[in-house]
Amino acid sequence: MGYQIQAAGSTRQKRLVLGLSAAILLSGMGLAQQRGGTLTVGLGYDIDTLNVYSTGFLGDVQAAVVEGLVAPNEKAEYVPVLATRVPTVQNGGIKVAADNKSMVVTYQLRPGVKWSDGKPFTSADVKFTWETVKDPKFIAESKDGTEDIASIQTPNDLTVVVNYKRVAPDFKSTLFTFGILPKHTLEGKDLNTDNYNQMPLGTGPFKVSQFVKGQYVVLDRNPYYWRKDKAGVQLPYLDKMIFKIIPDSNTLVTQLKSGEIQMAYSVPYSQIAQLDNQPGLNVVKNPVLSWQHLDFNLKGPAPLRDINVRKAMAHALDRTTISKALGGYPIPIDTVVVPVFSYSNKNVPKYPYDPAKARQLLDAAGYKVGSDGIRAKNGQRLSFNIMAQAGRSTDEDAQQVIIAQMKAIGIELKPDNKAGVALRDARYKGGYDLYYGGWITSADPSYSVFFGSKGVNNGQGYSNPKIDALLATADSSLDPAVRTKALRDFQTTLMQDLPSIPVTSNPSMIVVTDKLGGFVPNPTNMTNFVNTSGWYLKK
Amino acid sequence: MSLSYIFKRLLGMVPLLLGVSLILFGVLHLAPGGPLDVYADNPSVTQEALDNMKRAFGLDQPLPVQYFKWVTAFFQGEWGFSIRTAQPVMEEVLARVPATLMLSGSAFVLALIVALPLGILSATRRYTVVDYFITLLSFLGISTPVFWLALMLQLLFAVQWKLLPSAGMQTIGDGSLPDILRHLALPMFILAFASVAGWSRYMRSSMVEILSQDYIRTARAKGVSSRRVTYSHAFRNALIPVVTVVALDSAAILSGAVITETIFAWPGLGRLFIDSMNGRDYPVLMALLMVGSFALVVSNLVADLAYSLIDPRIRYD
Repeated sequence: MGYQIQAAGSTRQKRLVLGLSAAILLSGMGLAQQRGGTLTVGLGYDIDTLNVYSTGFLGDVQAAVVEGLVAPNEKAEYVPVLATRVPTVQNGGIKVAADNKSMVVTYQLRPGVKWSDGKPFTSADVKFTWETVKDPKFIAESKDGTEDIASIQTPNDLTVVVNYKRVAPDFKSTLFTFGILPKHTLEGKDLNTDNYNQMPLGTGPFKVSQFVKGQYVVLDRNPYYWRKDKAGVQLPYLDKMIFKIIPDSNTLVTQLKSGEIQMAYSVPYSQIAQLDNQPGLNVVKNPVLSWQHLDFNLKGPAPLRDINVRKAMAHALDRTTISKALGGYPIPIDTVVVPVFSYSNKNVPKYPYDPAKARQLLDAAGYKVGSDGIRAKNGQRLSFNIMAQAGRSTDEDAQQVIIAQMKAIGIELKPDNKAGVALRDARYKGGYDLYYGGWITSADPSYSVFFGSKGVNNGQGYSNPKIDALLATADSSLDPAVRTKALRDFQTTLMQDLPSIPVTSNPSMIVVTDKLGGFVPNPTNMTNFVNTSGWYLKK
Repeated sequence: MSLSYIFKRLLGMVPLLLGVSLILFGVLHLAPGGPLDVYADNPSVTQEALDNMKRAFGLDQPLPVQYFKWVTAFFQGEWGFSIRTAQPVMEEVLARVPATLMLSGSAFVLALIVALPLGILSATRRYTVVDYFITLLSFLGISTPVFWLALMLQLLFAVQWKLLPSAGMQTIGDGSLPDILRHLALPMFILAFASVAGWSRYMRSSMVEILSQDYIRTARAKGVSSRRVTYSHAFRNALIPVVTVVALDSAAILSGAVITETIFAWPGLGRLFIDSMNGRDYPVLMALLMVGSFALVVSNLVADLAYSLIDPRIRYD
């Protein structure tokens, strides 16, 4: 599953919770880690709610408070958190029905885990989470995975048996990875308006002690946290974490420089240079699971349905120049599956930078250069609008480069940028000609939402039955070999059709105090705060 | 000026605000997208769930019905729930009012205290070094973009000299008055700077015009001291056009300073407005716009009343 990248850091998807193990291993190695201290983090968006299921943003604060059963780590691999292992077919945690139409997933829960109010965590909480999120009365931002589950049994306090209606290989990236709700405090309450939304109760390393709207959230150490480091020291190391809300990215950088905050992520590329040599600060490059793309609205102007026009534009696009314009951080890509994934296909049809070839293609297709320098055929000029997210400087810079590169082959692009709801309205209802933007996905993405004929994120009007079939196979098989083949073939077909030009994979820049130890960035949509228990401040 | 006049004016505000609310409601709903579009990115929100939400928020009703319901509820003090945070709108707005009042209010007072004397000084010392210097400063103030000035001052005061915090309203865990004042200093100064620049120009030109009038010359000829002429004869008359400008600007105290609040991470109404706008949070937006309109109408009334206080010849019946 994936979602659109929004304003810096405010990606509309949130999934998963605690990543952990690597940080624990690291922190267990030395004796250097100090207990105590406060880490102040700057957030570039105004928090709407602290309920992971209702928020419109990534759950940064929530990830330090609420845990799920499993979570992706820094390599985008799922590791156990509140469960003792990640269920797989091999370890018997997943049993697929003989007719291959349903599956049963069994979780063994970690014993001795307590909520931060001291009450025990049990299988009843897991079942309660599903029932509550599924309830139509609960207005949730994300109900991912609830519809796939037919029933849940809890034979004892530490066993959860989940009966799925279909074979769902993406089950890990939904519901229980997201976070578990406490039954003992929420039963019978209206979760839409309950105080849980301001003061969520979780099993994570920290608990919310203060949430001042529009200003900050203070997290205190959870005294009942279940995890200890290798030396037997009770985690987390930090006493407090403070999340300060600072909507302006210039101010965020200023606060880093003045020492008022010690950490910020998704710092715009244009501002990295002035922080690179700042004493006391480290710049960390986090290769997130995202890709930037130039989409064609195939329900839009007729020339965009001409494959020669799309191919010409792909050849006219110089990814290296775009990367350079953005500080050299973005990595040029040739397929929509980012290189991190093993099933990324290196042998897809490619469209290297070659403006001469682009011109040839357009000439052959009958688009002649007019007196104004713009090509036209039968009176139809190759002049389109190009939409990007207003205010997202990285995308707007890239957009300028694209406009210049297309002009060089006689195609006119006019910027038509939108923000917030207006952008989404245009994206999903086809109110654009071309769109430049990005997607970030979970560790277990499903591409049918973007490129399937009925994909909810497919606002392009793109439809190819072959793609639909390949993606259906990928979405319903637990066999890695079958999935890999289907996804590789999908990439080949997609690049032949070219409904969207993959441009770059943009890493996220994290700036953090050099005193912070145990910090491991997370490339998934689970945010960097999935493994805070092993973080410590050097004295 | 009579009480019945004020009463009549207040009564006249009701149809005016109703008309304004109708226009605002219409314009907001004409803008592309709606609050539920935030769910468009989410593949797992089913059509059924969306329909449920539509019903829950009353978005499935025809627009005139929605407007009528909103108006009746609003005038009963029932401002509904924020679609973005699910909290009561009244609570959301009231939570931001103190911060906005503190920032815009103090900047307003500061600007007034500085702008009027500067304008007078500039007018009485016309074409001297003092006048040119004040004029230069005014033009700097009018033409300097807020965000640039803010950035420079943040760098200077917070990063270089470490004298003041660069943003936020309080040190977490502190929040005492001196602490809040330290946080207030930079945004207040920046907000006041632009107003001072504008208002002192108005004051200057109004004063210059009055000082060239016959009655001022007559007063001088009769031997009235220069100070008395300036402050007693000219100042009061010169104030009238300035009051109009200042009063209209004062409505902004309640609307919040969007740019300044964003740059300084100040949790006021301006920032709430931007966040609500991006999410098309109709209930919060309507409440904020109505509060702003109300402030504007009231400041108009206050300006009219101020005229008659300054100049007894102006009367309202």
